[in-house]
Amino acid sequence: MKTMLAILTLFILAGSAVAREVQDGNELLNRPAERTYDIILESGYLKVGMYENFPPYSYELNGEPAGIDVELGKRIAEEMGVEFRVHWITPDENLGDDLRNNVWKGHYLAKQRLADVMLRVPYDKQYAYMQDSTGEYINEQVVLFGPYQQETWQIAFNPERLDSVETVAVFQYNPIGVEIDTLPDFYLSSGLRGRLRDQVRHYPNVREAFEAMRKGEVSAVMGMRSEIDHELAKPENSAFRPADNGFPGIGKQVWDVGMAIKHTHRQLGYALEAIVDKLVRNGEMDALFADLELRYSVPQYYREFLEPEALARAEGEL
Amino acid sequence: MRTNKFGIRIAASALALAVSYGAQAVTDEDIVNDHKTPEDIVSYGMGTQGQRFSILEDLNTDNVQHLQPAWAFSFGSEKMRGQESQPLIKDGVMYVTASYSRVYAIDAKTGEEIWQYDARLPDGIMPCCDVVNRGVALYDDKVIFGTLDAKLVALNKDTGKPMWIKKVADYQAGYAITAAPIVVKGKVITGVSGGEFGIVGKVEAYDAHTGELVWMRPTVEGHMGYVYKDGKKIENGISGGKPGQTWPGDMWKNGGAATWLGGTYDPETDSLFFGTGNPAPWNSHLRPGDNLFSSSRLAIDPDDGSIKWHFQTTPHDGWDYDGVNELISFDLNENGKTIKAAATADRNGFFYVLNRENGDFIRGFPFVDKITWAEGLDPETGRPIFTEGGRPGDPSATEGGKGEMVVAQPAFLGGKNWMPMAYSPETELFYVPSNEWSMDIWNEPVSYKKGAAFLGAGFTIKPANDDYIGVLRAMDPKTGKEVWRYENTAPLWGGVMTTAGNLVFTGTPEGYLKAFDARTGEELYRFNTGSGVVGTPVTWTMDGEQYVSVASGWGGAVPLWGGEVARVVKDFNQGGMVWTFKLPKDRVASN
Repeated sequence: MKTMLAILTLFILAGSAVAREVQDGNELLNRPAERTYDIILESGYLKVGMYENFPPYSYELNGEPAGIDVELGKRIAEEMGVEFRVHWITPDENLGDDLRNNVWKGHYLAKQRLADVMLRVPYDKQYAYMQDSTGEYINEQVVLFGPYQQETWQIAFNPERLDSVETVAVFQYNPIGVEIDTLPDFYLSSGLRGRLRDQVRHYPNVREAFEAMRKGEVSAVMGMRSEIDHELAKPENSAFRPADNGFPGIGKQVWDVGMAIKHTHRQLGYALEAIVDKLVRNGEMDALFADLELRYSVPQYYREFLEPEALARAEGEL
Repeated sequence: MRTNKFGIRIAASALALAVSYGAQAVTDEDIVNDHKTPEDIVSYGMGTQGQRFSILEDLNTDNVQHLQPAWAFSFGSEKMRGQESQPLIKDGVMYVTASYSRVYAIDAKTGEEIWQYDARLPDGIMPCCDVVNRGVALYDDKVIFGTLDAKLVALNKDTGKPMWIKKVADYQAGYAITAAPIVVKGKVITGVSGGEFGIVGKVEAYDAHTGELVWMRPTVEGHMGYVYKDGKKIENGISGGKPGQTWPGDMWKNGGAATWLGGTYDPETDSLFFGTGNPAPWNSHLRPGDNLFSSSRLAIDPDDGSIKWHFQTTPHDGWDYDGVNELISFDLNENGKTIKAAATADRNGFFYVLNRENGDFIRGFPFVDKITWAEGLDPETGRPIFTEGGRPGDPSATEGGKGEMVVAQPAFLGGKNWMPMAYSPETELFYVPSNEWSMDIWNEPVSYKKGAAFLGAGFTIKPANDDYIGVLRAMDPKTGKEVWRYENTAPLWGGVMTTAGNLVFTGTPEGYLKAFDARTGEELYRFNTGSGVVGTPVTWTMDGEQYVSVASGWGGAVPLWGGEVARVVKDFNQGGMVWTFKLPKDRVASN
């Protein structure tokens, strides 16, 4: 009985440890642990950085990490033979801030806290090699690598209010919800010489914009496709439909999403790259998305060299 | 921060008893008369009008060279960064705050610690604007201050133990408090700091005894204000009357206008004066209109939070020119008449003289060498006359490329930032800590935020001159003329104080506490405190001797933004001390 109880306790502890963040910084020197590939393997866990409260990518569901990036993080850890540990990221004003706070330096209020790898980092060579006014490479402290998904913009609408969304011009006359301070916010607020501006309604996130659509405050919502798909999959949103309009002049219609590590940890990067590359090519990534009722697009990176058949396999069509 | 313990320490209880013996409670009268009572400092601003003028003249232009260190006190731990605090003094005890929401009570004679309070900050907190704190308020037996997680905390002045703690705003929504609260008629008045988007500024009043909310006033047009009576929340009018007059769509709902620098109080007109930050979102092309009450000064009724008048320094701001800088009440003697006036030196580079009874514009003039974004001010209304092409471009209008670069001067850190200026009723001059810098702004072709494509603006700050950035100026509010200037290599980021001894004190990032002749600007004294001074000096008298104190510890916004300014400041070391000086008795008559 006693042994049973001990085993049970161990089980419970092990189970909850999956979700928990780990604090492994050097308290005395107040700096993060220098976790190279070998040290990660030896420690038995991988700290995977992802944004908190960011469904369907990464969020908490019943006290446990959930979402597509969590599933990917678990698969990566499994392939490496270590435990998955979440590292929640509070988003700052831009990606550069997030990389500094979570990948290479640490936030000044939490200097011991760094992720081993950060997910959902846009993979963009132009961004990676950006230079400042004195010619220095702005992102030289990190390596951006391993694209695993292509993300895009998407509108969902209420068919009771709109027959269809042929172009965004309908939002001169119909209110549309966006997450505040995002590209959809800027795009719609300034598009068509500002003629949509008065119809744009601002919400803290896409979930609350959908709530507003259910209440009839807005006729449509614009966000990232995964966010929109995630909401559309919920029973309470079953009346709403995805639109198939374009977004002329939006600047960036699609972009690849990958990972980031500190530049001194390239060996870890090569290992992660190989794992994710396999998941993309063999269709497992597509399956992870399908499990969560999300559409999946292979990154542009792969589209440039994969044969049509290999591409079809990666997108789950074979 | 994550290992921070909820810490209160009481050192040497015998000492604590000794200094609290005979100590008097701080009253409303003490606070309103603070500028007349040089034996204590019980308000931020050395008087609620914020003049930072001391009537003491023992220390003066003839003997300031004999000012000598009396003691220095370390804030301890590895938590350094900017020390922007102004000490308060009451009954031989100094109450001073440090970075990371820490408070210290120190024996003002010996520099020995009486108690220390470290606010326990939540994990994952992301304050927008560094971890500074600018000081406490004193009332009754309480020491009251705001924390980085947007709470007001009242501590017992003798023990440092919390008496009440109130949440003013949600730190997770981007709010914080870094300013010193002020106490008016038994109410603690505070504003809030906030990040770039999603927030709405407000001013709130709490009962100083109980911490109960008394009223709240939003600083963006369209939001309802409230008063609280007997547990009931009663509507007290919408700020600006109704929404949508100066904002498009629903943007007023998240309009910004944070009241992050606190306010001053003028007992003669019974008005609180609070400034407001820039409007949100940052891209001004998305929000045509004046965007009230962003980048403005508001006169607020301390009894119920009603707005008496407003004056907007930068309508439709597109340069991040916060309007938070302090509005100082003073008597303007002109043409044989005395006008109840008030003055402010704005981030946008203009100095404004207003009638503090009604907010009327009296005059305005540049206090920096160059302003590019406006050609001048309308002589009737004080409204800026925008320069054509001076506004940063619309990011959505440029595809792919960098877009056209706009050079704006002053830079967004302002002709003058948070650091308070001082006014001497004797010289009738304002002493303004200012900076000469510009910024390049362009549209960033590749930008990402929270995993998504974004439209960002890139900017870089540049010194306007090769050999100096900071300029301490004596400005005449009647003529708009600069009477004297002192140029400093690094940007000035510390507050100013002036005295009846004809002295002007301020600190420099190079580490010096400096004193100048108030009439000529001649530098008369310097002492290196070991780290950059970005705090605000004070002076008081104790046992017949005049003391001067200032916090030392380099930090604040300059090292966070840097740009090409970083070259000038990158070698400055951090610190965390309060330095106290005195003029020995036998030196008073040494002239």
